[in-house]
Amino acid sequence: MFTRKNVYKLGGDWGDAILWYARAVQAMKARKLAEPLSWRFFGGIHGFDQGVWQSFGYLAASDKLPSAALRKRFWEQCQHATWYFLPWHRGYLLAIEKTVRDVIASLPKGGATAAKTWALPYWNYSVKNENKLPPAFASPDWPDGKGNNPLFVTQRYGPNFGSNKVFVPPNQINLKALGEPDFTGVTTGGSTGFGGVETGFQHGSNSPRFGRLEQQPHNNVHVLVGGGDPTNQNVFGLMTDPDTAGLDPIFYLHHANIDRLWSVWNGEPASKGDPTDAQWVKGPASIGERKFSMPLPPNGDPWDYTPGDMTDIGKLGYTYDDLKAPAAKAMPHAKRLAALGAAPRGVVGMTRDQKVELMGANEKALRISGKAEVKTSVKLDKQVRKRVSNNLAAVRAEATTQPDRVFLNIENVRGLHDATALQVFVKDELVDTIALFGARKATTGGGGHGEGGGLTFVLDISEIVDKLHLSNALDVNALDVRIVPVNPVPEAANVSIGRIRVFRQGR
Amino acid sequence: MTPAAFERWSIRAPLLLGSGAAWIALIVQPQVCSLHAGLGPVTRESALMFAAMMLPLVAGPIRHVCNQSLARRRWRAAALFLAPYALLWTAAGIVLMEIAPRLSVYAAVVLIALWQFSPAKQLCVNRCHSFADLSAFGVRADYDALAFGSTHAVWCIASCSGLMLLPMLLPAGQVIAMAAITLWLLSEKLDKPAKPQWALRGPAKAARIAQYWLIRPILSRSVSPSS
Repeated sequence: MFTRKNVYKLGGDWGDAILWYARAVQAMKARKLAEPLSWRFFGGIHGFDQGVWQSFGYLAASDKLPSAALRKRFWEQCQHATWYFLPWHRGYLLAIEKTVRDVIASLPKGGATAAKTWALPYWNYSVKNENKLPPAFASPDWPDGKGNNPLFVTQRYGPNFGSNKVFVPPNQINLKALGEPDFTGVTTGGSTGFGGVETGFQHGSNSPRFGRLEQQPHNNVHVLVGGGDPTNQNVFGLMTDPDTAGLDPIFYLHHANIDRLWSVWNGEPASKGDPTDAQWVKGPASIGERKFSMPLPPNGDPWDYTPGDMTDIGKLGYTYDDLKAPAAKAMPHAKRLAALGAAPRGVVGMTRDQKVELMGANEKALRISGKAEVKTSVKLDKQVRKRVSNNLAAVRAEATTQPDRVFLNIENVRGLHDATALQVFVKDELVDTIALFGARKATTGGGGHGEGGGLTFVLDISEIVDKLHLSNALDVNALDVRIVPVNPVPEAANVSIGRIRVFRQGR
Repeated sequence: MTPAAFERWSIRAPLLLGSGAAWIALIVQPQVCSLHAGLGPVTRESALMFAAMMLPLVAGPIRHVCNQSLARRRWRAAALFLAPYALLWTAAGIVLMEIAPRLSVYAAVVLIALWQFSPAKQLCVNRCHSFADLSAFGVRADYDALAFGSTHAVWCIASCSGLMLLPMLLPAGQVIAMAAITLWLLSEKLDKPAKPQWALRGPAKAARIAQYWLIRPILSRSVSPSS
């Protein structure tokens, strides 16, 4: 049984696990692009864009691409904005972890011994003082002072381009997703679930919307760590764009943390567990679509897997050194009930007698450019608003009524600058930060089959609505929404929001 | 059943019932194939064909209309979407019924095949997958639903007319052929939007799904990575 450990608890900046990782990454980077167990091949498994790879120096004219058969089987596979997001990435991590371990085993001066226990570390950026990029990645040098540290990447700009400081700002990420009881949700405006919505093989454009963990903190960390030039949308960090993210060695520590959070969620009593539907368990191949496949050492032979194969990390041979969940009373549902002055009751998730209904919408599309914040008024329907008010009053009065949930949908966000992060305010309360990871592909409709619909973000604004209700301020015709760029957005990137809607999820 | 699947079936079920009733009517009533029989009967025939073949295919757009409409306006919005959609399809059906007997079967089949495999067909199918964004309030909401119904009908008619002409070319067994074409069109709907190009387009995905479930014990065996 292998144990994946917190990168900040390895016994120093260059703890053994990180030192061996760096050595293996160096060896993998030396392998040819066409080899299935090379560093760049693994990057291409996540995503590939010939033009971007060339301009970033990851594809030279002399490089031979992998064969068409290899690319068809393995490349451009990453699953995003889908209920396959978590299981696909679990398999991807397993494959690279085994590949790294196999490389370590062959390295001199203790590699064979180290490989017996080596596991991928994870970066838990939610811990105070552990939100800075782990030092081994931030230094251009090896611990002995020699340059060409393979964990160091110049195209990693952090949240403030030009500052050379890479860290995750604590106020732009959160773990509220852990409070979501259902793994899968709906595409009709309500909760998308912890793990994401039902889709087929989902890579590239036509992204409907993100599961809660994928949206926050996963997407935000990609964009906050990768960053980009606010004046030039062609200059961005490797982590910022799905087509280059797998090339940055920090990617795998980020995803190990996301994978760990999936296990944390599964350990919570209120979580309903992973889906049992055949379409999830058996993966997209069961609906006539492409299957999940990874190359494995020693020869790069294919390993096909399904989400059903990925549900038990014990069976897969590993665990994490910390799978502790946040306290129940710190979870969003419990906090809401406390704020509403209501007796505690368990969270139930979406039941058959619940429905999702439109509560309001704004009038027109919004353009985001430069630093300027954009304001819009989301008109609310009186009848639906009344249903919410009546429900919240009933929650306080009765012991079993579940509170309605209200969601703000930021829809059809298009643009060519994935490094964009936007803060969303409703009536001057900060709802969350959204990050446009994947927006470029979702806009251009990757593969040339027409204009993409962009990304849609679903934000839970139930707590804000509760506050309005408690201060008798919910009886309004519209909600004022403000979108504030965290960093300036290049005008040429054409970042826009198609529509902002509000939905009620309840009985 | 996932919450999303439950939502889908709550729209799909009534549409399938409506379609089923139309199929029964088509089977039991004598068929009318051209305007010689009178505009009334031919319109009725075309409307029944529309209900039988297209109602199952229109679940997605109707769900979209319901989702983007306030509860108090939902029936109205769905009706404003369906009305132009049904009218345009019924008219298209009458046109198809009129031209079918005037075509040489072989020439028609060649033309239909050319259209089916052409980039233009893929472009129309892609447009069918793209749903208009609808306003929520007032006259604008009514207009958007009507406009969506009309444009969606145009792309649907362009995509499907070729295949729908096929049963009308047959001397007998049109209803069975129509049923087969309906299944073909449903299978086409399963595919995601793709690059418009020349390609052999058919119900390949449905075939893959059938193949997966038939030889599942062999396919589901995967090499599990051992530690």
